Amino acid sequence: MNHRVELNRGNRIFLACIYWAFVLYVFVPLILMILMGFKDSKFIGFPIRSWTLDWYKGVFSDTDVMFTFGYSVAIAILSTLISVIVGTWIAVLLQGRKFWGRAVTFALMVLPALVPGIISAIAFRIYARMLGIEPGMGAIVWAHAVHNVPFVSLVVMARLSTLPKSQIEAARDLGADPLIAFLRVTLPYLVPAILGASIFCLLLSLDDFVRSFFLGGYEPTLPVLIFAMLRSGMSPEINAIATVALVLTAAIGIWAERFTRRNNKETKV
Amino acid sequence: MTKLLMNRRRFIGTTALAGAAVASPAYLRRAAAQGSGEVNIWTYNDFVPESFKEQFESETGIKVNVRLVDDQGKQFNLLAAEQPNPTVDIMTVAGHRFLQFINSELLAPLDTDRLSNWGNINPTFSESDWATINGEKWGAPILSGMEVLSYNTELVSQEEAMTWDTLFSEEYAGQTAYIIQDMMSIVMLMMGYDGNMVEYMDDPEKAAAIVEEAKQFLIEKKPLVRKYYDSGAEVQQMFVNQDIALGHSWNGPAAALINDGFPLGMTIPNEGSYGFVYTYNVANNAPNVDNAYTFLDAILASPEIGAAMTKASGFISTYKDASNYLTDLEKKSTSFPEEQLANLQFFRAEANELKYSLVDPAVEAVKAA
Amino acid sequence: MTHDASVRKDSGGNAVPAGDRTFWGRVANWGPYQAFSALLTASPRRQFLILAAFPILWLLTQHLGPMLQMLRVSLTDAYPVAPGTQQEFTLENYMRFFGDRIFWMPFFRTLTFAAVFTFCTLIITYPVAYFLARHVSRRNQMLMLLLLLVPFWVGEIVRTYAIMILLGNTGAVNLVLKWLGLIDRPIPFMYTSFSMGVGIVYLTALYMLLPLYSALEKLPQSMNEAAADLGAGAWTRFRRISLPMTIEGISSGCTLVFLISTGFYATPVLLGGPSTTVFAETIAGFFHVAGDEWPTGAAFAVIMFAAALLITGVFQKLMNMLRKGDTK
Repeated sequence: MNHRVELNRGNRIFLACIYWAFVLYVFVPLILMILMGFKDSKFIGFPIRSWTLDWYKGVFSDTDVMFTFGYSVAIAILSTLISVIVGTWIAVLLQGRKFWGRAVTFALMVLPALVPGIISAIAFRIYARMLGIEPGMGAIVWAHAVHNVPFVSLVVMARLSTLPKSQIEAARDLGADPLIAFLRVTLPYLVPAILGASIFCLLLSLDDFVRSFFLGGYEPTLPVLIFAMLRSGMSPEINAIATVALVLTAAIGIWAERFTRRNNKETKV
Repeated sequence: MTKLLMNRRRFIGTTALAGAAVASPAYLRRAAAQGSGEVNIWTYNDFVPESFKEQFESETGIKVNVRLVDDQGKQFNLLAAEQPNPTVDIMTVAGHRFLQFINSELLAPLDTDRLSNWGNINPTFSESDWATINGEKWGAPILSGMEVLSYNTELVSQEEAMTWDTLFSEEYAGQTAYIIQDMMSIVMLMMGYDGNMVEYMDDPEKAAAIVEEAKQFLIEKKPLVRKYYDSGAEVQQMFVNQDIALGHSWNGPAAALINDGFPLGMTIPNEGSYGFVYTYNVANNAPNVDNAYTFLDAILASPEIGAAMTKASGFISTYKDASNYLTDLEKKSTSFPEEQLANLQFFRAEANELKYSLVDPAVEAVKAA
Repeated sequence: MTHDASVRKDSGGNAVPAGDRTFWGRVANWGPYQAFSALLTASPRRQFLILAAFPILWLLTQHLGPMLQMLRVSLTDAYPVAPGTQQEFTLENYMRFFGDRIFWMPFFRTLTFAAVFTFCTLIITYPVAYFLARHVSRRNQMLMLLLLLVPFWVGEIVRTYAIMILLGNTGAVNLVLKWLGLIDRPIPFMYTSFSMGVGIVYLTALYMLLPLYSALEKLPQSMNEAAADLGAGAWTRFRRISLPMTIEGISSGCTLVFLISTGFYATPVLLGGPSTTVFAETIAGFFHVAGDEWPTGAAFAVIMFAAALLITGVFQKLMNMLRKGDTK
């Protein structure tokens, strides 16, 4: 059995190397981005001749940027809530059930994810006009929510397919009707998938430019603001804004993770 | 950009608004008669100077809503999707795109009699041939741009930069970049044709042959180019990263690099080049027409405001005497020698339908080649 | 379902185990809820209808609605309709794609790129997910996974420009290589399919990582050990146990990444070279450059959609067959 331990250790070290190489790959551009936020020039890039904190001072003293950030986060959270509820519902309908028109339903479900951004944005814009939805926050939330549903459904379906049937049957045997069985057994089992899908949705929403542009009013979201600023050059100010946004979202994320973990513990007790 | 913003604020705070304030009573009185309200503007970042906006709002009580756009095509699509009840009063169109907007009935003709400060615009821009279409004026010129050859002065000499040929030379293989749509017009000009295609409006076959020739030229030179780019930020980044030594660009992005101390030069090469003008236009069926005119008259009030726009964007101001309010470096980055300017002509819109029906597929073909 | 009914019949309190005094137990025994539940689940048919009604309604109005509008536009000769003219229906816009070879190149290039980059993403992230799920203690797993997620909170454009700073002629990689004395002249990484790949994999890795991780994490450790005890080598164990058991994760990860990569616009435009034009760029061209070509743009988008749907459909079928083959 010694042989096995040896082999595992070799594997482990090899895989660890790949993991850390991957960490390097994802972090080096990030570090460069943060670094450039301190460059004393109107353009990012090497060489950096002198450093400054002015860009950061500018971001914090500019209430517009902070407001824009808050606005984008609010849109992201609202649209994610809608996507998660609708997406999970659709996943439950589709997974492990055979019914007439299932393939069509599945195709319809993935539809919004397939359409290139610009097309989907214009389609939403025309449709919004037909429905009488005014451009603005509501319209952006709506478009983001619809666009993100397929991502929730796909992730939740993958998780659902691994739910042991026996668990539901056991709950049923204990007298739970389908709704309670779903709430008590299925839903808790889906929590990791739903959390993962929420992260997807938040990211997609925070990063979306085209739909926000076409459906927005006079208040820009963060990507719309960045795109507009980009016209006068990729300035370190954009990096400073992105870095601040990153730190703030990470802080919110860590807080949320702590919060849910604590809650989980409490409910278990 | 914050730095720029601060400079601009400081600058305007001290000098410009003194001038603007002197000029203000005329539009103040009119605004007061109309009562307050709001005006909705679609424009590029920095095209409405922040301090002007604040001053205007406090003096007229009209709230200025700016919606930032980054592209002409998107503005067109957005407005087309909104008509006949647009949410916008004033939008920013490049002069040679007028026709497309006018034909789709997206713009209202401009009533210059309502603008007491119309005369503050340099007649080169306000009375130019491209500015009048169907016997009407369609926009108030604010900034002027042009297609230039930009080059890293440490790698390329000015002499080399005086001809577009250098852009296609073996010596700089893999170190050049251009916007392919714009380059089509320039290549036609290089070959001695009319890149506006106005001359060939009655002879579509000749027009097609010329576009074909330009297309073949660009396909042949494709192995030499590093990148077909789209936006000013891209070409700036390529220069900074030294991915390219020279390239075709608009003067605005190039000027911004020069003002930042980058060793960059730009020329209007001997074969000539094209210029275009950004204008503020009133949208058809605009919800707040009166406020739109009040705003336009106010922003045209003083050359300092024009200078502020130039400082922020790098494009050349269309206001008379705006250059008096620029630093030496800014002047240098927004002016050209007379003999080079003599080679410049403006983009024209008359033949656009013919031109783009030929050029757009040609561009696709070059990209696909 | 008959089983169900029998439980409900004697649910006067005895059917629910005495120990279940929890919230849910009380809900289940609460009169009004039971009435509500009975109404909802009276028959399998009604149960299904209630479950299906909302999703179907949503899909038809929200997912299909905008696209039908799009499809309609793609079949017209002009949009937005110029004043004073009549809009007519035509297949011209579709014919244009099939009639002109220059559109085929970017089309097939996009599908090829999407497939290749999806495969690269899979190859790169699988060992990472494997390491996380199998070799890291539970307590650290979440932390190390979150570490990988951090960069994904930065927008596409900003990250893409960061790649330029990384790979440019005066970029970080060239600076390091020069400093090490490995090169004299910078290597032109930028504006090639390489730089494009680096950028796209950077954007898509997350969408592959999460499904793979959640699939691998469920894999019981005991199975691997049992196989090892039977003398199976690492590769055999991977091929015979880990791979088949994670097919579901691979399949959903690949579907996601493929779909997302066919729609990428900004990154290929910014990082690609003169010979890497993608179809999204072609489509966007009809909306950007010439405002009166919406119908053609719309038709091309429909073609793209049909192709992507076909490919993911075939891929899913294939994966399903693989899985079934393995469980036999």
